[in-house]
Amino acid sequence: MSATNPFVHVDNVAKRWNGQLGVENISLSIPRGSFVALLGPSGCGKSTTLRLLSGLELPDEGTIAIDGRDVTNAAPSDRNLSMVFQSYALFPHLNVAENVVFGLKVRRVAAAERREKLHRALEITGLLGYEDRKPGELSGGQRQRVALARAIVANQPLCLMDEPLSNLDAKLRASVRKDIKKLQTDLGITVVYVTHDQTEAMSMADMVVLMKDGHIQQAGPPEELYYRPANTFVAEFVGAPPMALIDGAALPGVGGAARVGLRAENVTVAEPGQGRLSCTVADCEFLGSETFIGLSHPAASGLTVSLPGLRHIPAGEKMEIAFSDKDLHFFDAAGQRLADPAGQPAFTDG
Amino acid sequence: MSRLSRHFEALGALLLAVIWISPLVFAFWAAFHSTSDAVNFNLTSPWTLDNFRTAWEGAPWLRYFLNTFVLVTVILIGQFVVTTLAGFAFAQVRFPGRDVLFILVLMQLFILPEVLIVENYAMVSRLGLFDSILGVGMPYMASAFGIFLMRQAFKGVPIELHEAARVEGCGWFGILWRVYVPLARPTYLAYALVSVSTHWNNFLWPLIVTNSPDTRPLTVGLSIFGAPENGVDISVISAATMMTVAPLLIAFLVFQRQFVQAFLRAGIK
Repeated sequence: MSATNPFVHVDNVAKRWNGQLGVENISLSIPRGSFVALLGPSGCGKSTTLRLLSGLELPDEGTIAIDGRDVTNAAPSDRNLSMVFQSYALFPHLNVAENVVFGLKVRRVAAAERREKLHRALEITGLLGYEDRKPGELSGGQRQRVALARAIVANQPLCLMDEPLSNLDAKLRASVRKDIKKLQTDLGITVVYVTHDQTEAMSMADMVVLMKDGHIQQAGPPEELYYRPANTFVAEFVGAPPMALIDGAALPGVGGAARVGLRAENVTVAEPGQGRLSCTVADCEFLGSETFIGLSHPAASGLTVSLPGLRHIPAGEKMEIAFSDKDLHFFDAAGQRLADPAGQPAFTDG
Repeated sequence: MSRLSRHFEALGALLLAVIWISPLVFAFWAAFHSTSDAVNFNLTSPWTLDNFRTAWEGAPWLRYFLNTFVLVTVILIGQFVVTTLAGFAFAQVRFPGRDVLFILVLMQLFILPEVLIVENYAMVSRLGLFDSILGVGMPYMASAFGIFLMRQAFKGVPIELHEAARVEGCGWFGILWRVYVPLARPTYLAYALVSVSTHWNNFLWPLIVTNSPDTRPLTVGLSIFGAPENGVDISVISAATMMTVAPLLIAFLVFQRQFVQAFLRAGIK
């Protein structure tokens, strides 16, 4: 993502907690109007990165610029951004309307303008008629929408969201996901969205930033992370089921690659004697339209083959698999992606 | 066995209640009867309001009531301001030496106010507040108990609310006023109850600092009214006592439910 004039520019930022690692070497360029997901396992530093962007934490090193202005040490309120918290952070003593216009009141926006903006925000989030309710009288989904309304009412160009869906049930989550994406497109705002759920990240984001142990592993469009993972961590994190990794030594003719990656959808079952690897069936996972057959092989981890419909193959049965060379991903001993055999350069951070 | 012990507990509670309320009941009884009827417990004797008439004419009660009312109000306002600011600082502001300072404040809880009377007296005199209502209230405004209470209440406020207010553009004072104070309302109510009843009944310190009927609160006025050199008439003194405790007693009976709820919500019993 090398936009000539990025909306948010994070340059080499680090934050440490009492010598412990927070985040290190974070560099990001976020174009205006994009939806960026910060993805990673818990404790990877994605929330810290968001808090550094918001100004609730200040970095120990590096600079942060928003809309061309250096805001590295600016107060949260001076950064022209809004924020949705994981717990929604609604004020329990204020009703829905007062919660939504809280920021406008603090910034001394005139009452008439406040009413107008409130009406619009409640209309967008479908909360008209709930103005006088207290947060305690709302359902989880409604509270979430109040938090969204509060974030959009000020019409800030940047909105930061910290796992806003993690307190909702699975069904609601899917519908709110669509609502948030639509909201972001309609309002044309830039959203930075923290999640540990790769489905959320992959389905909503224009750009996914995958983090681990305080470092960015790969940043790029979802399809790039899926089809061209920069290292074995990305390969094993993204996708359901994740990519299988096979020792290079077990596969003849793959050159100098220490490990070879392979996705389930590229694996086919071969006739006995025709396959490239001979494995044992470990388990079956029925998902409705397909069944994932987990395979075990001494030189591979996470090998899976996807078969249509319901299949039941007893564990311990032998199975041979085949795949074509063009679907393989090659990694060196350190886990970094090697140049593709087709001659394309490997994708790296940035 | 358990039934027996339950009955025993109920009986014990009842006994304690009777012992507790008997002085008040006797004062009430004596206030409405002539002295001889009162001490003889003559249950059929006629009720009278003469004692109240005599007591009312014996001292500038209206002035005393006003003084006490102004006194508890001034103390309460001062305490709210000081304990809110100090409690917030101890709960949410990081500054060097915070914990040591907080322990010093808590140590104040171990010191009886009576121990400090001489020092307070000297200080109030130096400030030129001798024989003034502000002088009576001043030593109680930086209440360690109140600071502790407010700190605990503020510590219970989720940090996300603080951060949300910061993102929305609130400064320190705005966050305190718009987020922390409204959320600590039950604590304020509970604390106000304790403070008002304590200072309505406070006697020793006002007795020392006040010198004239213009500043004297009810408690001091009552003691002068009931002093032996004025002649002891148990019925008249009882009537005066009933008058001085009546406002608090009535307020408590009326708002009993709210007070108890405030205490439960504030988490202190």
